[in-house]
Amino acid sequence: MSLEDPQDQRGAQDRELVGVTEEGVDYDALEDLLGEKVIGRESHVNAEAFVIRPDEVQDTLFALRDEAGFDHCSCLTAQEYEDRYESIYHLKKYDDPTQEVGVVVPTSKRAPRSQTAEPVYRTADWHEREAYDLIGIDYDEHPDLRRILLPETWQGHPMGMDYNQDQPQVVTFESHTNPLAEDHKGEESDTMFINIGPHHPATHGVLHLKTVLDGEQVADVKPDIGYLHRCEEQMAQQGKYRKEIMPYPDRWDYSSAGILNEWAYARAAEDLADIDVPEYAQVVRTMSAELSRMAGHMLAVGTFALDVYGDFTAIFQYAFRDREKILNLLEDLTGQRLMFNYLRLGGLAWDLPEPREEYFDTVRDFLDELPQNVEEYHDLISSNEIFQIRCVDTGVLEPDVAKSYGATGPVARGSGIDYDLRRDDPYGYYPELDWDVITEDGCDNYARVLCRLQEVEQSARIIEQCVDLLEDWPEEDREIQSNVPRTLRPDEDAEIYRAVEAAKGELGIYIRSDGTDKPARFKIRSPCFSNLQTLPELSEGEYIPDLVASLGSLDIILGEVDR
Amino acid sequence: MTGTAGTVGETASVFLQSGSGQGATEGAPLADTVGRLLGFGSNMGPGETLIAAFIGAFFIGNLMLAMTGVAGPWAKRKITAAFTDRIAVNRVGPFGLLIIVADAVRLLSKELVVPDGVDRPAWDIAPILMAGSALLGFAVIPMGNGIQLADPETGLVYVFAVSSLASLGLVAAGYASNNKYSLLGGLRSIAQNIAYEIPLVITAASVVIFAGTLQLSGIVAAQTEPLVTILGVSIPAWYAFVNPFAFVLFMAANLAEVGRNPFDIPEAPTEIVAGYQTEYSSVYFVLMYLGEFLHIFLGGAIIATLFLGGPAGPVLPGIVWFIIKIWAVFLFTQWMRSAIPRVRIDQLIEIGWKGMLVLSFANLVLTAVIVGLIA
Repeated sequence: MSLEDPQDQRGAQDRELVGVTEEGVDYDALEDLLGEKVIGRESHVNAEAFVIRPDEVQDTLFALRDEAGFDHCSCLTAQEYEDRYESIYHLKKYDDPTQEVGVVVPTSKRAPRSQTAEPVYRTADWHEREAYDLIGIDYDEHPDLRRILLPETWQGHPMGMDYNQDQPQVVTFESHTNPLAEDHKGEESDTMFINIGPHHPATHGVLHLKTVLDGEQVADVKPDIGYLHRCEEQMAQQGKYRKEIMPYPDRWDYSSAGILNEWAYARAAEDLADIDVPEYAQVVRTMSAELSRMAGHMLAVGTFALDVYGDFTAIFQYAFRDREKILNLLEDLTGQRLMFNYLRLGGLAWDLPEPREEYFDTVRDFLDELPQNVEEYHDLISSNEIFQIRCVDTGVLEPDVAKSYGATGPVARGSGIDYDLRRDDPYGYYPELDWDVITEDGCDNYARVLCRLQEVEQSARIIEQCVDLLEDWPEEDREIQSNVPRTLRPDEDAEIYRAVEAAKGELGIYIRSDGTDKPARFKIRSPCFSNLQTLPELSEGEYIPDLVASLGSLDIILGEVDR
Repeated sequence: MTGTAGTVGETASVFLQSGSGQGATEGAPLADTVGRLLGFGSNMGPGETLIAAFIGAFFIGNLMLAMTGVAGPWAKRKITAAFTDRIAVNRVGPFGLLIIVADAVRLLSKELVVPDGVDRPAWDIAPILMAGSALLGFAVIPMGNGIQLADPETGLVYVFAVSSLASLGLVAAGYASNNKYSLLGGLRSIAQNIAYEIPLVITAASVVIFAGTLQLSGIVAAQTEPLVTILGVSIPAWYAFVNPFAFVLFMAANLAEVGRNPFDIPEAPTEIVAGYQTEYSSVYFVLMYLGEFLHIFLGGAIIATLFLGGPAGPVLPGIVWFIIKIWAVFLFTQWMRSAIPRVRIDQLIEIGWKGMLVLSFANLVLTAVIVGLIA
C-alpha cells in the first residue's frame, strides 16, 4: 500500500475538463494537453489511445486524471509483441464511462521497464503486479513488485513469448518464503501474525490474508491471491472466437452469474467483429442476465449473513431457497444450473423453453413471491439491531478511495458512486426498460448489503418488463441468432476493451486480434480483483470480526479474482 | 470464577440472615431413596451411603449424558433445520434418530490427532474439565420425584462455582493448543465469562432475596405458592412471573455463559474457526461438545430451578416437567443461534459491563427494597 497522500481528485471537477464535448471525447484536445509526451496515436475500437514514453507514465496519467477527468483506471493490459512489450492503461470516467481513452506504453524487448502508475491510481498496484507476473514487465518505483497470481518461486513469465512450457517448476518446500518467519514483536507493543486462509470458513474460497493482529485489532492485512489461478486468459487465447471461448466465462464468477460473464465476452467480441444481435435475443439476454445477477446477489447476501451471524442461520437458507428458484428458472432456460453456456456471438444458443406460457408463469410466480421474501430479508437482516451495530460504520470505504482503487458494482454504489454500466454505457435492452440505479451513501458494510438487496428488486423489475415484452413478441420475429460467419477473423491489429455490468461490477474484456480465428491477447478485467484490493482500506484498525464482515461485504468470488 | 462465587456467597449470607432458611431436609435425598431400594435400612453406614450415592450419581449423570446425546447429533440438527426451512437427518432410522449411534461410532473411531507443541497435561485436562464441571452442577439440582443427589444449604453457590470451572477448561484448551486461533478463542471466552458471570450471579441473588435461602430445594418450595388465581386457574409464584425482568436478564446472561448467539464469539467459526476447539479431534472433541451441551442443559436446569418452579407442573410427574423445562431453554438457545447475529468482542464486553451489570444491580437493589417493604 502506498502511504503517499491521496491526490486531490476533486480539484479537477471545479475546472473545465479538457476534451469534453457534446459528441464525446475530443482526442485532439487531449493530445494538445499531453503535448510532447505523445509519441504516437492508435485507434482502438472502443477509443483512441496515445502512445507515450515509459518514463512519462505518471506525468501523462496525472494530466489525464486531473485535467481531463479520467478518474477510473479500469484496467491494465500488458502484452508482448515480436518487437516490444506493451502496457495499455484503459482509462474511463466514473461520471460517464463512455468517455474512454487508452494510454499505450511500449517498452523495449531487452529491458522491459516502465514507470509505475500506482501513485496516480492505486488500483495499478495489483494490475502492474499481475502484468509483471504473467508478462514480465518491470515497473519502476512500484511499491511492492512481487508475483501476485503465481507462487513467488515461479520461473519465467508464462504469457511471455519465449516462455518454455516444458520447463519443470519443481521447487523445494524450503525455498518458499515462510510467512511465519517474521518476528512481529515490537518495542512498544506485541503484535501477532496470523494466516487467515487459504482454508478458512470466511474467505469464500481460497484466499489467504496475511494478517498482523494487535490484540483483537487488525494492524495490517495483505491479501495473497492466486490459489485459484487457472490460466483463463491463456485458455481463451487458444480458443476460436465463435464457439470455443464462450464456455470459459461461466467459470470466472461462478456464483451463478455466468450469463453476465458470457455477455462480457459476447459484447467485446461482437463489437470487435461488428456483429449485430437481434432485438429479440437482446431481450432474452437481458432477462437471463438479470436472473443471474439475482442469483449472485442472493448468494452474496446469504454468505454475508453467514459471516456476520456465525452459523448456518435462517438467512443463509432463505437466500439459498430463493436462489434455488432462480436456478430452476435458469435450468429450464439454458439446460444448466451453473455453467450455462447460453449466449452465442450474435445471439443465443436457443429460444425460450416450450411451452412458453408455462415458463412465463413460473417466472411470474417467482417475481410475485419476491417482494414478500425481500421483506423477510429486511426483517431478518437490515432491521435487526445487532446486525446494524455490527455493520453500520464498519468497513468504511470513502468514495475517493473507492475510485482510486477502481471499485465498481455494489461496492462502489454502496459508497455513493453513481456508476452502473447498464445505464451509463448502454448495451442489451437496458436503455428501453424502466429501472433505477441504486446508490447508498453509507460507504459501510451495511450500505453495500442494502445496495444488493435493492438491486435484487430492480432486477425483478427488469425481468418483469422483459417477460411482458417476450410474451407479446410476434412469433415470426423471434429471431435468436444473426448471421455470423462460420469462422470469425476480425481485422488484424484491431483492439477493443469493452465492459458490462456483472454481478460484482465492471467486467471488462480486452481482445487484440491478429487476423487469425483466435485472439492474440485476451485480457479479463475482473471486478472482484479491483474490489478485493480495497480490503486493507476497509479493515485496518478494525476488529477481526469486522475484517471478516468487510470481506464478506466485498462479495468476492475467487474464481474471478484469480481467473 | 471461584472468586465471584465467594463474593456472592458473602452477599447472599447477608440476605440469609433476614430470611428464614426454610429448613429443608439435610443430606442426600436421592442416596436415601436408592439406599431404601437396595434395602440398606434407614440408618446407612458410610460405606452404604457411598454405594447408594454412587448409584444415584450414575443415574443422574447418565440421564444428562443421554439427553446430551440426543441433543447434540440429532435434536440440534432437527431444530436448526426447522428454523432454516430444511429437513435435516431423516435417512438413518425413524426420524433419523439412529444418526446418534452413527455419529457416536464415527466420532469415537476417529484418530485422536495431537498437534505438535501442545501443552500436554493442560491440553488433556481441558475437555475433561469442561464436561466434568457441568456434570458436577447437576448434583444439587432438584429434579422432582426426589431426584436430587445432594441438597446443601449453599446449593446455588455450589452450582455457580462448579459451572464456572468450565472457563478454566476453555482457557486451558485455548492456551495449550498451540494455535493462534485457539488462543484468541480462549482469551475471548475468559473475557466473556468474567463479564457475564457477575450479572448472572447478581441476578440470581435477587431470587435469593425472594426465597430467603440459597438451598435449591428451598427456592423451589418458595415458588409453589399461588401468585394469582384467574378463572379458577391458579398461577404459581414462579419467579419468572414474580420478577420477569430478572428472568429476561438471566436468560440473556445465560446465553453468554453457554456461548450461544448473539454471544458465541469464543467459537465464532467464521472468524476464529471454532476458537479453543480447533485442535481437538475424536474423543476430546466429543468431550468438548458434550461439555458445551451439558452446560446448556445445566443453564436450563438453573433457570428452571430459579425461575420456573423447578419440577413443578400439573398432571405429569415432576421429573418430566423438569426435563421439558430444560429442553425449552435448549430450544431457546437454538432459536437464538438460528436468528440472531453475533456481536463483536468489544460490543460484547460493553454490553456486559455497561449494560447487564448495571441492570442486574438495579434489579437487585429494587428487589431488596420491594421485599424489604413487603416483608
